[in-house]
Formats: sequence, C-alpha cells, structure tokens
Amino acid sequence: MKQINSVSGRELVEMLATATSWLEKSASDIDALNVFPVPDGDTGTNMLLTMRSSVEEAHQSGDSSVSAVAQAIAKGALMGARGNSGVILSQIWRGLAQGLQGKKSFNGSDLAEALQQASAMAYRGISKPVEGTILTVIRQAAEAAQAQVAKGNDDMISVMEAVVDAASESVANTPTLLPVLREAGVVDAGGQGLYTILEGALRYLRGEAEQMQFRKPQIIVSSIPLTVRLPQMAAASEEIYGYCTEFLLKGEGLSPEKIEARLRGKGKSLMVVGDDSTVRVHIHTLEPGNVIRYATSLGTMHQVSIRNMDEQHRDFLQMQKARMPEVDIATIAVVSGDGLADVFTSLGATAIVPGGQTMNPSTKDLLQAVKAVASDKVIILPNNKNIVLTAEQVLSLTDKMVEIVPTQTIPQGIAALLAFDYEADFETNVQLMREAKSAVKTIEITRAVRSAHLNGLSIKKRQAIGLLDGELLAAGNNPIDTLNKILAKLDLRKSEIITIYYGADTEPAEAEKVSASIREQYPHLQVEVVRGGQPHYNYIVSIE
Amino acid sequence: MTVKIVTDSLSDITSDIAEGLGITVVPLTVFFGHESFLDRITITTDEFYKRLTRGTVWPTTTQPPPAAFVKVYSELAKETDEILVVTLSSKLSGTYQSALNAKSLVEEKCRIEVIDSQTVAMGLGLIVIAAAKKARTGANLDELIGWVRRAISRSHLVAYFDTLKYLAKGGRIGKAQGLLGSLLSVKPILTVKDGEMAPLTRVRSLSAGMDYLYNFVAGFSRIEELAVEYCTTPDEAERLVERLGSLFPKERIYKSTISPVVGTYAGPGAMAVTVLESENK
Repeated sequence: MKQINSVSGRELVEMLATATSWLEKSASDIDALNVFPVPDGDTGTNMLLTMRSSVEEAHQSGDSSVSAVAQAIAKGALMGARGNSGVILSQIWRGLAQGLQGKKSFNGSDLAEALQQASAMAYRGISKPVEGTILTVIRQAAEAAQAQVAKGNDDMISVMEAVVDAASESVANTPTLLPVLREAGVVDAGGQGLYTILEGALRYLRGEAEQMQFRKPQIIVSSIPLTVRLPQMAAASEEIYGYCTEFLLKGEGLSPEKIEARLRGKGKSLMVVGDDSTVRVHIHTLEPGNVIRYATSLGTMHQVSIRNMDEQHRDFLQMQKARMPEVDIATIAVVSGDGLADVFTSLGATAIVPGGQTMNPSTKDLLQAVKAVASDKVIILPNNKNIVLTAEQVLSLTDKMVEIVPTQTIPQGIAALLAFDYEADFETNVQLMREAKSAVKTIEITRAVRSAHLNGLSIKKRQAIGLLDGELLAAGNNPIDTLNKILAKLDLRKSEIITIYYGADTEPAEAEKVSASIREQYPHLQVEVVRGGQPHYNYIVSIE
Repeated sequence: MTVKIVTDSLSDITSDIAEGLGITVVPLTVFFGHESFLDRITITTDEFYKRLTRGTVWPTTTQPPPAAFVKVYSELAKETDEILVVTLSSKLSGTYQSALNAKSLVEEKCRIEVIDSQTVAMGLGLIVIAAAKKARTGANLDELIGWVRRAISRSHLVAYFDTLKYLAKGGRIGKAQGLLGSLLSVKPILTVKDGEMAPLTRVRSLSAGMDYLYNFVAGFSRIEELAVEYCTTPDEAERLVERLGSLFPKERIYKSTISPVVGTYAGPGAMAVTVLESENK
C-alpha cells in the first residue's frame, strides 16, 4: 500500500471535499439516528451543512499552506455551523487549525498532535460534556492517533487507520455510555457523523475516491444488542423542547466566555464558540426573544434561525415511522428476564411480549403486539405451555396472517427463531421453525413451591427440582446437583452444544462453576453460559 | 475463432482450472498495511488466511486497474476477435467498471463484451467455467452472452461462516448486517442475492452447517456444475465432497478456496457450496 509522508494544503481541501461527499451519502441515515440531546432528526444534515461551509471557505483560501487552509476550514465551519453537532464539529476544526498553525504541510505526528487539540477544543465548547457522544469519539480517535505515533508509525495512512478504527469502536460503544441511546436502539448520531467524515478522509488518502462512488458509508453496529421497542419510541433526554435558537454574532471585542456565562440558565444545549470578532451561539430556549435581545446589544446578528422544536420532533417521529424496518414476516416472542429478552432480540425477534411462568400475558397483550409490528404476517413464539392457548385466541381477532409455533420452553423458542430463513416464505418458515423446536432438549431447574410426591419423587418445599422438557425428573440438594442428575440420565454423545441461561437469583460465579463441571464431564460439548435474568428458574438449559 | 473468456480472481477459479479451460483470470489487489499482493499470484490463499488470523493489520482490497484489463484484452486480441468478460457483482467491487472502462482503451480490433455476474466466488466461477466449456465447443460471442445472462439466475451459492467476527469488521455485508449482535455464538448461513451478501439463516454448530449445505444441494434435481469451497479446512471440505458424491459425480465437483476478498469477511473456517442448475430445455 502506498505510504503518505506529508499532506499539502491542496490535498487537505480535496480530502475535506471527499469526506463531505462521503458524509452526504449517509446524512439522512444519520438524521434517523438522532435522539440526543433531543430527537429532532437533523444531525446528519446539520453536520453536512457545516462541512459544506468549510469546503467552500477552504476552496476560496488564496494561501495554499496547510496552516491557511485549516484556518479557512475552521472559519467556514464556524460561519456555517448548524445544530449541536455542527457547533461541536466547528470546535473540532478550530482545534485542528490551531494544531496545524504555521505548517506548510503536515504528517502523521502533526495530525496526532492537532487531533489532541481538536479534542480538547471540542470539550471546551460544551458547558456540560456528556460521554457517549461525538465528544467521546473525537477524544478516543485522538488518543489512538497518539498511540500510533508513539509506536513509531507516523505515516498519514497508518495514523488515519488507527483513528478510524478507534472512532468506529467508540461509536459502537456509545449506547453503553449513554442510556438514552440504548433505549432508542441507536448509536450516537454525531459520533457516527464524525466517524463517517474521518473514514471518508482515510479513503481519500488511500486513493479510493473513485470506488467511493459505488459504496455507501456504513452505519456502525452497536457493541451491545439494542432492544427494538414497538412501536419504536424516540427517547428524549429533555422534557421541554421550546425553540432551537441559532445565530452568528459579529462585533468587536466579543467574549465567548462572557456570553456563555450570561446565557447559561436561559436554556439547554447551550454552546457558545468563536473568537472576539465572530461568535456562534446555539441554545434550546423557551424564550428566544430574550436571547436575541441580549445578542443584538453586543453586535450584529447573522444567519438567525429560530425553530419550534416540538414541530421538529413531530417531523422526526413521522420520519422514524416511515423508516421503521419493514419486515416481511414479524416474529413475536413471549419472554421474561431482560437477558433472555436481549437474546431473542439479538436473534432477530421483532417484538418481545413480557411473560412466562406465573406471568402469562393476556390475549390483549399479544394482540397489541401483533397490531404494532409492521408486517401482515406474524409468527408468535409463546415459549410456555400455558401461553400457547392464549396465543391461539389471537388468530380470530386480527386480519393479519398469524401462525403460532407452539414452543413450550425458552430453548425451543430460541431454536425456532434461529431456524428462521430470511429468503423463505411464511408457510415454509412456520414449517422450519416447528421442526427446529423439536431438535432441542430443555432442562429447567427451579424450586418446589410446596412439598409433594410426584413421578416417584418425594419433594420438600423449596427443594431444587429439575424438569426435562416439562416433565419433573429429579430433585436434589441444590440446583447444580439437580442439573447433574438430569444430565446423567441423558445420552449426550450426539449432542454438540449446551447453553446455560442463568436466572435473576443466580450468581454468575455459580453458573460458571456449573459450566466448568459440565465441560469436565463432557469434553466434546461446547458449553455456553448466558445471563437470562429470568425469574423462578435458576437455570434454563438447552441441549442441541 | 474461439471466443476467449476473461474473469477476475474473485471467481475462485484455480490456475489448474483456468489453464485447462483457457480462462484468463485478472487478479484483484490485496493490501496488508503497506504490502500489496496480487490475489492468488503473489499471495496464496493459505498465506492470506494465516495473515488474516494473525490479525495485526486488517486487509483491504481494490479492483484491478483498467490497465490490467487493457493488457489482457490486447494480448488476447492477437489470438481472437471476440472476448467475453464476466466479473463479480458490481455491488461488491468496482471490477466490473474497470473491465468496462478498459474496453475503449484497446487499440486492436476486437469485440469485447463485459457482463456483471451479480454474484461472486464459485457463484461466478461456475458460470465462467461452463461458459468456457461452451466456447470450446464453438459457441459464438452472442450465444455465450445470452447463455451467461440466463445462467446468472441459475447460479446458487450458499456459504457457512464459522464466525461473525470478520463479517462485522469487514463491512460490505448489505442485508447480512441483521446477523450481527447475536448474544449466542451462532454461525451464519449466507447467500448472494441481488449482487450482495444476504443472510439465509443461522446454525449453532459446524455439523449443523454442513447438514445445511448438503441439504441445500440435495434440493436441486438438475445440477450442471457443482463446487465446494473452503478457507482453512480442507479436510472438512473433503468430507463434504464425499457426502455430496451421493448426489452428483464426485470427480466432477470443483474444489477451490474462497478468495481473499470474500475471505476478509468470511474469516477462517468458512465453507461454501455452489450449484449451477442445468438449463430447462
């Protein structure tokens, strides 16, 4: 691969332009991710408009040194910044320009240094920095650049590769850091936008500009499974929306710090960035009039924009609805336990209805889910003997085509869901799922709710008991002992995988012990331990 | 004059097969950091997977430059006046564009036609192989173009991936994105649909995966060509070939390795079968 030792000002302009067109390709996808700080669905567009303004300014730069071009980029970003993400982006460019000051061209280690300043500047622009956003992404990207240079690689491409890799991981990780993202089932939009820009820049350096015509930027997949809520809810971290108020203030002797101090408390998502002659202000406020009045007392106002955020939010919800993944065949699973719900979701269940042993959902609950999914063909996995009948009631209550795959246990439900064939039609899938559910054996370990004599076993209240495919088969002193008794009764020679889902009341350490003991006794088996978080059952074990 | 057949290295056509049937294979370029290799020429698939699993540098690939096609076209034009080029899916690479752009740069008088196969690996390979056989028995360029266009919808590839890790890192996965994020260790079964990788289903073990591949082939009643491919598991591939011997003459099954480009996201342990259905007459 080619190595690039230094980048000129001209190349920087080209790189920026390439990154901007790359961003343009996924701007609307990024809009759809936008839930933080407010779900108004404009992050991608705002970042794109900010970038365009930078590109324009950079093209007009008479001086072609990197220093001058970077200054022009920063100025363009400041002049054209839109929205929270745009303003932060303009801060990033400003920091970068500072880092590149005085340079005719720059190399990998200059870039690493400048990114460090960009990251610091981005944080400085926000009064209350929140992690799991574009801020985290620029910080971790900058750290990766430093680390790469420290390793002795200061070639531009290898530094940018490290930056893009780190940004990608950082974006994937945003839902872990920011609960509002996790709830909405998305990665951070601003972070995704920044990643796309960095990736576009890297592709330019690699000389892939031509191929980029045929491709689209990738939206990063979250590192944790995200629950799809139905109907899809857009989470909001701010209760009151008010007016998104933005403008550029020009004057002499302006002080961004003073302006910020004055506006703090007047609204949310406040950002004031710039220098003594140009300041950009962004605030979500209930009283834009007060903000404007104050600003006009300081200088002249430009690019004033006041938008009603309630309207923006409504448009966003509309957009979300239109973008809801259209599934040909929807699957609805009845599950209790957050871990198990995550497992089903991660395997593609369209909706989860909470319920299970002793908590059977009503026909109405199931009917609601059937109505909510965006498909006319629905498969229901009851995952419990007592819920199969309830589920069957739904058939006569809806016009949608509904089939029940009568799974009686969680492992049967998972096996059925796994067998789902994306290319097959409804009938074939129902058939495939019915067949798949019988290919798995289920062991459930729970505690007896009362003393009893059953299946030749004498059981005391609270004693650990074990069921194999719903049949009471063993009782023991503790859950592990009981599970072992059942395993001993099975012919495991032809089995391949044992999956252990441990319950809400079970310690992970104990579950690990169980799996270690199984591995020791049956070395040919692949044993997997997953937190199910289910009530009542210490262990639900699937044998395939 | 016999029509000359050209394809790219993503067809997974081995040099033995290519020589035997007179197929010209234009290599894509594989990058590991600063090192670049010509697919199957300066890097063997073995070496590629060794480096991939070592995992210090993530490999990238690029299409052959138009110049590489120009060179091939010009050389072949000395022997023939008709060339048929069949490339991998234009949604997966710019190779088709490159092959097309190269046409106008050829000075020799020669008719060149380029077809986007909308598939990859042996999905493409078997079409090319069958077309080369037809060219040898005297089919002219127009007949071959018609035949290849019809064959595209009869070429069915199904792949078993041993891990999702590489799929997640590699991008270019289209609808297969839905397979990611599973909390259980699952092994995806994919196909090529509308020119892109698309998910079919998931299994939980290698043996279930091999059953799936076998049953997939068993579902066809008229098989013209059959191929088995692997990345790093030749023994497993051999067992599958043996098993498929009950459905189709074993000695006629093409065996190959999955090319580095697909391998970048298939990862080691992946296997694939491709069926080219015979044409309804």
